[in-house]
Amino acid sequence: MSDTGVMIAAFLTASVEWVEAFTIVLAVALAIGWQRAIAAGVAALAVLAVLTVFGAGAMNSIGNLRIVQFIIGVFLLLFGLRWLAKAIARGAGLKPLHDEAKAFAKLSASQALAETRGAMLVAFQGVLFEGLEVWLIVVALGVQTGHTAAAAGAAIAALAVVMAVGAALRAPLARVPENTIKFLVGCAILSFGTFWTLASLGYQWPLGDYALPALIGLYAAGGLLLIQALKRTADLAPR
Amino acid sequence: MRGFIKTLIGDARNLACIAIIIGVAAALIASPARPLAGLLIPLALLAAAAYLARK
Repeated sequence: MSDTGVMIAAFLTASVEWVEAFTIVLAVALAIGWQRAIAAGVAALAVLAVLTVFGAGAMNSIGNLRIVQFIIGVFLLLFGLRWLAKAIARGAGLKPLHDEAKAFAKLSASQALAETRGAMLVAFQGVLFEGLEVWLIVVALGVQTGHTAAAAGAAIAALAVVMAVGAALRAPLARVPENTIKFLVGCAILSFGTFWTLASLGYQWPLGDYALPALIGLYAAGGLLLIQALKRTADLAPR
Repeated sequence: MRGFIKTLIGDARNLACIAIIIGVAAALIASPARPLAGLLIPLALLAAAAYLARK
């Protein structure tokens, strides 16, 4: 797979997660000041950077390509299925869409921000937990394709874009089409996971690497059909 | 720690779906129906996505 494919997947995944992390840092910054909120966020990013180096090193040290392919494939299946199911549920109206403005208002009113140390912990944990999914994608796609630096670069670029727009607006980034991005990334990640897991089990894809875009298309078409079908079921359900 | 694990593997339903599908994939690939794995497993994953979306 090319650098570009890895970078697009990492950039989109990271964008969704950094938008949510920014909302948390913004709420904390308005409570205890930007300097402390940013310090907590940067500490979490440093932990993620160490995890990326450690994770990539651990995967590369395994040596057996099939085992690496299986481990990475399974993690991508777990991640991709979760994101696609969530995006389908939201698209069909079974779950409310994620609302950054609402999340910001809820966190701002929270007692957790009343005390400086507690608020810094909220910012640290927020960035760390949102960033863990970015870490997973960077390590999984990067190690498997040999483009870890490109994947990490794309995630950092997404962080820079979100921070720049967020700093300019000084408001939660509520207009990002989060569910559409989640749906697309879910389809792409599930496709990588399917491709590598089956390959690690000894399956030979008839189209070779071209099976990947075919899988993405299948999941996207299937996901859209499921959204329509579940919407209809929800409409017919007794209220 | 719980948040870390949940981020990596999701909830129990997500994990169970993937465990079952991988088991089915391994059995399919070891059977004469091997060529169908590339179509049946993605369809099984879409069915799992529909199941999880409703939960």
